[in-house]
Amino acid sequence: MRHILIIATVFFTASAQAETPRDFLQRFEKEAGAAASPERGARFFTTKQGGEWSCSSCHTGTPTQAGRHAKTDKAITPLAPAANAERFTDAARVDKWFRRNCNDTLNRVCSAQEKADVIAWLLSLK
Amino acid sequence: MNPDTRAIRVWDLPTRLFHWSLVASFATAFLTSESEKLRDIHVIAGYTLAGLLVFRLLWGFVGGGYSRFAEFLPTPRKVIDYLKSLLNGKPQHYIGHNPAGAVAIFLLLGMGAVASASGWAVYESLGGHFMEELHEVVANGMMALVAIHIAGVIVSSWLHKENLIRAMITGWKHLRNADTAG
Repeated sequence: MRHILIIATVFFTASAQAETPRDFLQRFEKEAGAAASPERGARFFTTKQGGEWSCSSCHTGTPTQAGRHAKTDKAITPLAPAANAERFTDAARVDKWFRRNCNDTLNRVCSAQEKADVIAWLLSLK
Repeated sequence: MNPDTRAIRVWDLPTRLFHWSLVASFATAFLTSESEKLRDIHVIAGYTLAGLLVFRLLWGFVGGGYSRFAEFLPTPRKVIDYLKSLLNGKPQHYIGHNPAGAVAIFLLLGMGAVASASGWAVYESLGGHFMEELHEVVANGMMALVAIHIAGVIVSSWLHKENLIRAMITGWKHLRNADTAG
């Protein structure tokens, strides 16, 4: 019985612990071992990084607005947390979309520093 | 030809074309799943897969002998007997689909339908994160089933000393005359 209680507590704590964008900023800063730079994030986001697309190709240069898929033309909800409270609240989704989109834009994974910079910039947008 | 064997046409051309087209469309969809740049190819592969499933559903009712669902409908009894016979080392021989394979086929058809429908919904921005998760879980489940299917084909080919992969390419099986129809 005690085991079940412990498992249930762990489960509910884990599922109830919705993360915030700040948590991800801190996580990636810690991984990078350096503070994030919103300016660097803005540059990284809006310019091509070796690939055919930049982040802004789909998310626009002002990600408080809705974006448009560069291939399919489908609408994409805003990426900046100020405009879309759902963004950067779920670790599985954050990891999944950084993995996919970094590969599409950079043909490689993003570094923790790059992720921290981008989130810092997105958080600075109002 | 060896006088102790006889050749029998097991898989008709539409069934074989369906099988290998399904392989190609599922592989294409799976390999393009992680890329937004290849999203249009992924969607085309998905529609192709859905169209193939519709064809197979119809062919299961109007197609030839061993392609018909009624021919290989797996009852729990048949599946248990077949799996037991594998464990005993005296596998029951079926000319068409064996009952374990039949379960995998119906599961693949069903999961393919869910993967297609949920993929369409995700593309049309319907159903939110849940639909996205469903699409990925079902597609991964299909890939797991494909792996089991391939393992089953290899084990079955070895146990029955017949080349099942060749049969799905040429349509012919060479049966020993001792084999009874299953």
